[in-house]
Amino acid sequence: MGEFDIVWRSRAIFWNASWVTIQVFILSLILATAVGLGLALMRMSGFRILRWLSATFVWVFRGMPALVILFFSFFWLGNNLGWSPFQSAIIGLGASSAAYKAEIIRAGLLAVDRGQYEASEALGFTKAHYMRRIIIPQGIRVMIPNYISNSTLLLKSTSLAAVIGLTELTGRSRQLANSTFQPIEILTAAGVIYLVATSFLTLSQGYFERHFELKR
Amino acid sequence: MDLGFIADIVPEILEGLPTTIGLFLWSMLLSTVGGLLLALARMSAVGALRWFAVAYGWLIRGIPLLLIMFYVFFALPEFSRTFLLSPFWTAVAALSLWTAAYQAEAIRSGILAVDNGQYEAAEALGMTRAHYMRRIVLPQSVRIIVPPFMGNAINTLKQTSLATVITVPEMALITTRIISREFNALEPLLALAIIYLALTTLLVFGQAGLERAFRLKV
Amino acid sequence: MAPLVRVQGLKKSFGDLQILNGIDLDVEPSEVVSIIGPSGSGKTTILRCINLLERADGGRIEVDGQVLCDEGPDGGIRFASKRDIRKIREEVGMVFQRFNLFPHMTALENVIEGPIAVKGMDKGAATERAHELLASVGLSHRADHYPLQMSGGQQQRVAIARALAMEPRLMLFDEVTSAVDPELAGEILLVMKHLAEQGMTMIVVTHEMGFAADVSDRVLFIDHGLVVEEGRASQVLGAPAEERTKAFLRAVLERAPMAEEGDDPDQLNEEPTWSSDPLAAEEAARDSAELARLRNEVAELRQQLFRSGTTRSEG
Repeated sequence: MGEFDIVWRSRAIFWNASWVTIQVFILSLILATAVGLGLALMRMSGFRILRWLSATFVWVFRGMPALVILFFSFFWLGNNLGWSPFQSAIIGLGASSAAYKAEIIRAGLLAVDRGQYEASEALGFTKAHYMRRIIIPQGIRVMIPNYISNSTLLLKSTSLAAVIGLTELTGRSRQLANSTFQPIEILTAAGVIYLVATSFLTLSQGYFERHFELKR
Repeated sequence: MDLGFIADIVPEILEGLPTTIGLFLWSMLLSTVGGLLLALARMSAVGALRWFAVAYGWLIRGIPLLLIMFYVFFALPEFSRTFLLSPFWTAVAALSLWTAAYQAEAIRSGILAVDNGQYEAAEALGMTRAHYMRRIVLPQSVRIIVPPFMGNAINTLKQTSLATVITVPEMALITTRIISREFNALEPLLALAIIYLALTTLLVFGQAGLERAFRLKV
Repeated sequence: MAPLVRVQGLKKSFGDLQILNGIDLDVEPSEVVSIIGPSGSGKTTILRCINLLERADGGRIEVDGQVLCDEGPDGGIRFASKRDIRKIREEVGMVFQRFNLFPHMTALENVIEGPIAVKGMDKGAATERAHELLASVGLSHRADHYPLQMSGGQQQRVAIARALAMEPRLMLFDEVTSAVDPELAGEILLVMKHLAEQGMTMIVVTHEMGFAADVSDRVLFIDHGLVVEEGRASQVLGAPAEERTKAFLRAVLERAPMAEEGDDPDQLNEEPTWSSDPLAAEEAARDSAELARLRNEVAELRQQLFRSGTTRSEG
């Protein structure tokens, strides 16, 4: 398998492209989590209009392919606001993932025992206070498995940024495969990098579950 | 925003609908067969089959679909010319390989969910394993399989848009062509979004209908 | 003196099911009122309406002069503002059947969260007070334990300390011993008894007839959402006037275990004091002694009630 030399010789390219992928992943994950939390809280609020807005956002953004959301973010928003492909990718992927995060976070919060809400109310806590101190910390524990597996999906979705010209791992590998005429080696190497990254994420689940475990 | 313009381009985008539907239906057919085989392999008594099914799931779920598509398109023909497929069939192959891994999980969880006592009852009645699977397990499993199966189907429908990158003329590709021709992104994208929303919403209703149809009579 | 709690014509239904059919209840400061009755009679709903965990459909509730809800001239019910409700809740401590401690916080953190968040107390002062309260419920040595590391009886005592930390004027107890093992119920009842002796105003929904008889000033028997009988504990429990009350007490007492033959209520003459922060071992020993005494009292009472139905002499 002497042909795999090409991978070693291209390691700098792989490293740079992977770094772009990691940045897009982390930044869009932060965006998705923040927006998803907001949407989940809106969905549980006492105001009908907020609940409706949140449900509509989730319906629309889950009903569209992530690629189409990315197109909105790149061809329309990005074009009008002067965003780079990097910025467009983060906004587009973040918005797409937020709709899923919202559902996961809401399910986690709803899984918290009703008695916790009642005890908080009885002590006179404001809703903002008990959501932050009592409900969300307990909900996180329930969310972890779905949150992690959804984040793995987001990591893989960063490859879509290749379509809008970002030289992240998938797009860069494709260019390299074309220019070196060695698609097997280059694309296999890219696959291995993704596998390592997604497996790492999956394994991190155990760590987070232990971290948020209730002491007993 | 120009609603008249949206109305004008919807028919043009819909020219890609048969291709999108074709990608979707072929991928669903192949991935359901593949997923069922993988699920049975995973539960088989033969260690190598089980190992293969696990490795397959880990591999496919660990890699972006887009990379799988590039692999089928650029790399597989390097192994053998028989793998040289048209863009359409490349997309079908990639989508099927990808969806099968998820459908295998959906099918397996459905089969595992059937109470073990049922197996004992069937055995006590002297049923063969094949008879037991076909007459006892599958009818009960279908009910449990429907929600994740349809969830995967909705994902696959949305992922057909990735065929754009290997120049399959489905709806997303046609839309990008309109965008570059008209120097205008908002209306074409809105039109595309509305069509996808209609399709995925239709599938959600289909899922609800199937769940009703398979509900246990109690 | 004006009553601390004044409930008039309280009505509540869930769907078609009428739970409360017009309950009247006044509670004077430092009074202990027990509410007894069969399951589903609406006892718990009364407490939950007083704390606005449920919204009443009709009637008027007043706590410490503040109106929680009232019927307007059109017959529709109106509630206090969110802010006023929170203010009233500060004055009303609630203890739940299933404890509802915050499982991700230690006992101490459970107790200080309210004073810091709601009363704006600084952490040092809140912690100091929390240690006193935990000592007063006999759990100094458990301050840094998490709820799941404690027995049901201990958890419930932390829950009482948590409610007391808000310095409430009124405590509501909702079947607080139902979810713990019977042998651990005594330690909770003991804490409540001491609280009553210190002059806390309490409304107690309970199945513990012994406790109701021993500690409460007044007992309400509720059935089908109405007050069937009300009066001094000795009268309602010892010599009930209503047939339904008699039938209920008979059913409850037949189910209850009888005191064992060898029990000697007089073996512990000295009344131990319940004070703050003794050594754990010493405290535990004293606890168990006091518990034994209380358990005997309860058993003795059950026997008396069961055998004769005669009035129990006031102690």
